[in-house]
Amino acid sequence: MLLSRVAERLYWLARYIERVENTARLSKIHSQLMFDLPKSVKLNWYTLVEITSNEDYFDEHYDARTEKNCMWMLLGDRNNSASLISSLWWARENIRTTRDSLPREAWVYINEIYLYVKDNIDDLQVRSRRNALLEKVIRTCQAISGMLMGTMSDNAAFRFLMMGQLIERADMTSRILDVGGYFAAQEYNPEEVEQYGSILWANILKSIGIYFMYRQAVQIEINGNSVIEFLVYDDRQFRSIKYCANKMHELANILPNSREVLKVIKQLQDLIDQPPEMEAGSTTLHDYLDVLQLKISAIHNACYRTWFYPEVEAVSGSVQ
Amino acid sequence: MRTALKEYKVGTGYDEVLGNSGQPTSAASELVNHLNTLSLSDVKELQKNAEATIAQLGISFTVYSDEGNIDRLWPFDLLPRVIDAEEWKQVSEGLKQRLKALNLFIEDIYNDQKILKAGIVPAEIILSSKDYRPECAGMKLMHHSWACICGTDLVRDDSGSFYVLEDNLRVPSGVSYMLENRAVMKSVMPDAFRDISILPMNQYPYELLSMLRSICPTDTPHPEVVVLTPGIFNSAYYEHAFLAHEMGVELVEGSDLVVGDDDCVYMRNIDGLQKVDVIYRRIDDAFIDPEAFNPDSVLGIPGLIRAWKAGNVGIANAPGCGVADDKVLYAYVPEIIRFYLNEEPILPNVPTYLCSREEDRKYVLEHLEELVVKPANESGGYGLLIGPKASQEEIEQFRQLIEDNPRNYVAQPTLCLSTVPTLCDEGVEPRHVDLRPFILQGSKSYVTAGGLTRVALVRGSLVVNSSQGGGSKDTWIVKKEGA
Repeated sequence: MLLSRVAERLYWLARYIERVENTARLSKIHSQLMFDLPKSVKLNWYTLVEITSNEDYFDEHYDARTEKNCMWMLLGDRNNSASLISSLWWARENIRTTRDSLPREAWVYINEIYLYVKDNIDDLQVRSRRNALLEKVIRTCQAISGMLMGTMSDNAAFRFLMMGQLIERADMTSRILDVGGYFAAQEYNPEEVEQYGSILWANILKSIGIYFMYRQAVQIEINGNSVIEFLVYDDRQFRSIKYCANKMHELANILPNSREVLKVIKQLQDLIDQPPEMEAGSTTLHDYLDVLQLKISAIHNACYRTWFYPEVEAVSGSVQ
Repeated sequence: MRTALKEYKVGTGYDEVLGNSGQPTSAASELVNHLNTLSLSDVKELQKNAEATIAQLGISFTVYSDEGNIDRLWPFDLLPRVIDAEEWKQVSEGLKQRLKALNLFIEDIYNDQKILKAGIVPAEIILSSKDYRPECAGMKLMHHSWACICGTDLVRDDSGSFYVLEDNLRVPSGVSYMLENRAVMKSVMPDAFRDISILPMNQYPYELLSMLRSICPTDTPHPEVVVLTPGIFNSAYYEHAFLAHEMGVELVEGSDLVVGDDDCVYMRNIDGLQKVDVIYRRIDDAFIDPEAFNPDSVLGIPGLIRAWKAGNVGIANAPGCGVADDKVLYAYVPEIIRFYLNEEPILPNVPTYLCSREEDRKYVLEHLEELVVKPANESGGYGLLIGPKASQEEIEQFRQLIEDNPRNYVAQPTLCLSTVPTLCDEGVEPRHVDLRPFILQGSKSYVTAGGLTRVALVRGSLVVNSSQGGGSKDTWIVKKEGA
């Protein structure tokens, strides 16, 4: 079957790969916004720090909220355990210690991209080269996800990879929405938000890589409410919270001893099915997303109790 | 064109490519033809490709240092070593013979001790060995297979004959690097593999798995096999993961396993506990079971020895097999072969002086400047005295060490190890090599086609260990046309 320790590392491996990809997208799209928005709209780089919940670390280690500082903290800062380079390192470490359960390419791809980013880390300081590097990172992460899909069996190892990816994805989607809404509501004067709102929301969609799918599915102009609709409730959109929750439910159903995990996933699904009335940028939305994030974190904890560190009952001859 | 080998001059001893005569040996002639199509800069380019491939594949080993553990890329030299397939057949037979006798010896030591009673091997050598485990008394194993995996170090002297330098019977390392070297070679020098008939070695992991299944002590039709590693900080962790991956079995750490009241071994899975039938352990005896051996060990599994002795789990290599991995015992191996198999040894030992024997000790102390002195129980090339290269101070220090604890030291004449053309800063130069083939013994015996060639990269040096700056080469067992 699958060792508890290996299941945990695979789960984290997938989370880190997903995190690396999301962080790279987020940074890249944020840079793109610069070209789209007029100079009068001052781009706030600190938003990136907030999305990733790194405020405390940033305030302790950096003196100014400049593009350079925010980007470095998010991407190249090895001391920040949530930075892209640290996440890459952790992904590599998790593959290194579970290599026996994965296709060999998994190790080779991650090792290669880690070494590449490490060797070219200074590129992250220069806007033009940074985007090219991030593009390569995103592409490699996609290649890894695709390769795993294409070469693994639908076995326990694969299911824990999926579980990690879904949890990280749901979490990231909720964070981006949260700050996106906050951004729309509070950072600029209402006229500007109205004027450039569609650009902002389009970039949010792009930062999670689903702009095209949104365009296909939603024919109206892009606005905050329709983006929330798409990212939280759409049940065919792979990155929507609802889709992630449903998939996690399916997975937990076929994994062993999953009663407790299923219970918490169900709570998340119920929350999604009974949303309060809310507008993009409202405190109701913020509070709602907050509760969603707490539920996601509860699922994570339930996975630990159920599979990674289960209390093993006294071993006796009756086992098996 | 300045071809890579044009200015190559052999050193003093036997050269694996040019023999003693300066003309390519018959095994090497096709390699030499191939290399003659390459300029020195071509070869340097290929070497760079090889190093890039190693980095990309993440082939590394861990070195302990004051600054903590460092993952280093595996050192590799492009120019291969070649051995004739007919000659290798003989060597293989010799290796199988040797391991078979050693396994019979180990089983005898833990049971009737016939060889001690016959006075062939002095009892005190065994009883004073730090790897003798009285806990193993009375155990009889499937196929008498205690040391199921053996890495035997071979050298050639200046006449070109192979000698056994030592047998590594505890947890021998290096086989993954042997396989990786071949993979790198095939990727950077594909033409050579088209033109030259080189015996494949990729089947090792399947042979290993089949051997491990064959030592399962119960009659389970599908034995569950695992590889047991001390963890990611071990210098050979790369190899542990590699072998588990290639065999498609679980790589476990001590904390993943638990022994039940039923004296069976289980691993902790996501759905509870699953029975384990065979363990390929890569942890030393002393740490494998805190209940039986070192009580402070956190690496091991309490009760493992209990489960093994109850016949519920097979362990490779079996606990206690290190009793035959002792440089003092090594001197007796030819006698051991004669005693158990009633055959003459096919492969010779290097002449060895035992400091515990008064006559030998006297000779050793008088000839320290000419000899290599080795502690009986160290690995990794540590704690050696290489007489001809040692300072007077070092020689005096060893004189004292030997007088204080003669049982712990053996000495051998300094061999002139054979050389292989190696890419160095100045061009292609001869460098000394040894060879570690791997031998398996379960229901049948198997020897790898070749082995891990280790090369001393420093001019004139005899130290080949990777942890001390040595490198490695691919080893080609070459079948000649029509042979």
